[in-house]
Amino acid sequence: MRLVIADDEALLREGLARVLEDAGFDVVGRCGDADALVRMVDAHRPDVAIVDIRMPPGNEDDGLVAAQEIRRRYPDVGVLVLSHYLDSRYAARLLEEVPAGAGYLLKDRVSEVAVVSDALRRIADGDCVIDPTIVSRLVARKRARGPLDVLTEREREVLALVAEGRSNGAIGEQLFLSRKTVDAHVSQIFTKLGLIESPEANRRVLAVLTFLRSG
Amino acid sequence: MKPIHVRRSPWTAVTALAVVGVATVAIVGREPGLSLAGPSRAVLAVEVLAAVLLTAAAVATWRAGEAFPVLLAATALAWLVSEWNSPAAGAGFTPGLLLYAAWPALLAATALRGLHEQRFDRPASGLLAVAFLSSVGVLGVASALVFDPAGQGCAACPANLVLVADAPDLWVSLGRAGLVLTAGWTVAFALLALARTVLASPARRRWSAPVLLPAVAAVLLWGAGAVHGIRRGFVSNDPTDRDLRLAEAVALALVAVGVALARLRARRTRAALAQLVLDIGAAPAPGEVRAWLATALGDPTIALLYRLEGGEWVDADGRETTPTAPPDREATRVRVAAQDVFAVVHRRGLLDDPTLLSELVTTASLALEHDRLHAACQARLHQLRASRARIVAEADSRRRELERDLHDGAQQRLVAVALAIRLARRTIAPGDAELEARLADAEEGVRSAVVALRDVAHGLFPAVLAEEGLAAALEELSEQEPRLVPRALPAGRFPSEVESAAYFATLESLLEAGHDVTVDAVAGQGLLTLTIGAGEQSASTMVQIQDRVGAVGGTATLCAGLLRVEMPCAS
Repeated sequence: MRLVIADDEALLREGLARVLEDAGFDVVGRCGDADALVRMVDAHRPDVAIVDIRMPPGNEDDGLVAAQEIRRRYPDVGVLVLSHYLDSRYAARLLEEVPAGAGYLLKDRVSEVAVVSDALRRIADGDCVIDPTIVSRLVARKRARGPLDVLTEREREVLALVAEGRSNGAIGEQLFLSRKTVDAHVSQIFTKLGLIESPEANRRVLAVLTFLRSG
Repeated sequence: MKPIHVRRSPWTAVTALAVVGVATVAIVGREPGLSLAGPSRAVLAVEVLAAVLLTAAAVATWRAGEAFPVLLAATALAWLVSEWNSPAAGAGFTPGLLLYAAWPALLAATALRGLHEQRFDRPASGLLAVAFLSSVGVLGVASALVFDPAGQGCAACPANLVLVADAPDLWVSLGRAGLVLTAGWTVAFALLALARTVLASPARRRWSAPVLLPAVAAVLLWGAGAVHGIRRGFVSNDPTDRDLRLAEAVALALVAVGVALARLRARRTRAALAQLVLDIGAAPAPGEVRAWLATALGDPTIALLYRLEGGEWVDADGRETTPTAPPDREATRVRVAAQDVFAVVHRRGLLDDPTLLSELVTTASLALEHDRLHAACQARLHQLRASRARIVAEADSRRRELERDLHDGAQQRLVAVALAIRLARRTIAPGDAELEARLADAEEGVRSAVVALRDVAHGLFPAVLAEEGLAAALEELSEQEPRLVPRALPAGRFPSEVESAAYFATLESLLEAGHDVTVDAVAGQGLLTLTIGAGEQSASTMVQIQDRVGAVGGTATLCAGLLRVEMPCAS
């Protein structure tokens, strides 16, 4: 799988590249700012771009803005945003326009190679991956009223795991349910959230987006 | 001794009027047919009444060193003396010859001087010079020098005491020249007076027109008489002359009435100002002085500005300003002891009457000083508020900076270190379990340091508050603190200091409360209002919240477990 890595902290960028190369990924480009990232994606057309949220030139959310632009211009390029922020809104912004092939992980995950590798593969497949810490925060949140009120407790549990980027099989293992039961829950979630019209791959992401926006 | 002299002067005018009046009545009584206004006693009464009214007006306006009342009294005397140009005048005959045409010139001088004691400027001085030259110089003195009444066939006439030589032709020529000049200057005077009236500010016009306009009428009537007499070369008393003389008398009476009107108006204003002091006492409510001045002076938009000790100017609410007025208005500065103390911004010309302003200062000084102190207090309060807001804003911006430094610096480095340890672990020779375990511990330690640092940074200042605003920040806070239940929140942005005050008020009460905390916010009518289900809050937390909210000019009150925070905001 071909990757581009953008992070202004050189030590981290190079370290991540080495870890991922060791894990069998092909790192075709590295850069330290948002503009260079967009040019690099245009030149290399990688499978996934790994993007730091805070980068030059503005040192604000330039990385996220670049990620959104990449998703608009090159919908077949997946994006994994690495961030220090637990804020689910950044993740929601990432999924808003093109609901497929995107992920939002906390930066301290980068040394957990297995997690990053798994996320990269799911993103390349068109799924979306949200950091479990953010997902659990969202689940714990008490809402006055929200779109997820229509779901049962179990369905919400399943949706949270979908948001983390787990497959139905993995969800079944985690919750001690059969694969068929999980499939039934997931399709019930789609129905309740009004997503049955969308293509299969997009449905999962749209459900996650609803979950992120459930405020 | 001067004050005594000043007190006596109006009575000098009265005495002179009595003497001249009695003499005039006697002269006209002896030869009623020769009176300029005709033989009727009623007409004579009107003539005398005009003089009496003018003198009364002069006495009423008498003030030491002022020319207007003196000129007015002199006009009254000269008006009567013009009847002495008569065979029945006896000893008054010669003064009558010299001065019979003096009154219009004196009246013109009186009117140009005006009640406000205006200096004679160049046009006024020139005009008056021509007026006196033609009236007293040509028609009076020069004509008298060559006029021998006996030679002209008036056997009954008293002797002309200033006669030099009898020259009837020259006398007629001088008479014609004087009358032509008179026609000229009277018209010029009328134009000048009208121009001044038109150009004057409304206030000054109200003040001067009642005197100026009847004076113009009287002078023009005299001018008309002059034109009427040019062909024969002298002023006489044919039916036209008589009508004009009667009209002049009425116009002069109106001048006196005009003076009375202006006096009355000034007294009314003064009385209103005096009433102001009585009504407001020494401690008026803020703004009361202004309201009273607006009523007393008849300008509802009047504004008072005060100069503080430091030299800066503030309005009644203590907001800093400059003592200048917009183009359609005027700012009058009031000085006490050679120092600007306050300024009045008012309709143009409202305070043109100089006496009005000094009345204002003396009658309302206590109340104005009180208002000034109030404005000064307000100004200090504004400064304190601004400085408190600056301190809070500065603290916020420092915290935000620290938050960013932690994210961009320490956190990034630590993540890189964790990665480096991970890479090092890969190079360990197989079987060195102890080193592997120690490196794994180190990596885990660094990772938990990153997590701890993230919490610290977020606690310093939530980035989402600056980037996306209050609603987003409270939503985000509810992800971190599930006890927080955000309900209706306005999506718009507010001034950053208002957003952070609202955020911290919510956060503080959430940390204090041991239960779920709801938060609602409404924005409208320039206010952002938060209702936080805070429950019981300790006094110290409330003080913290009130300090924070107070810094942006808001209030925080706790009532029945609901914390209500109100802050002014632009949107």
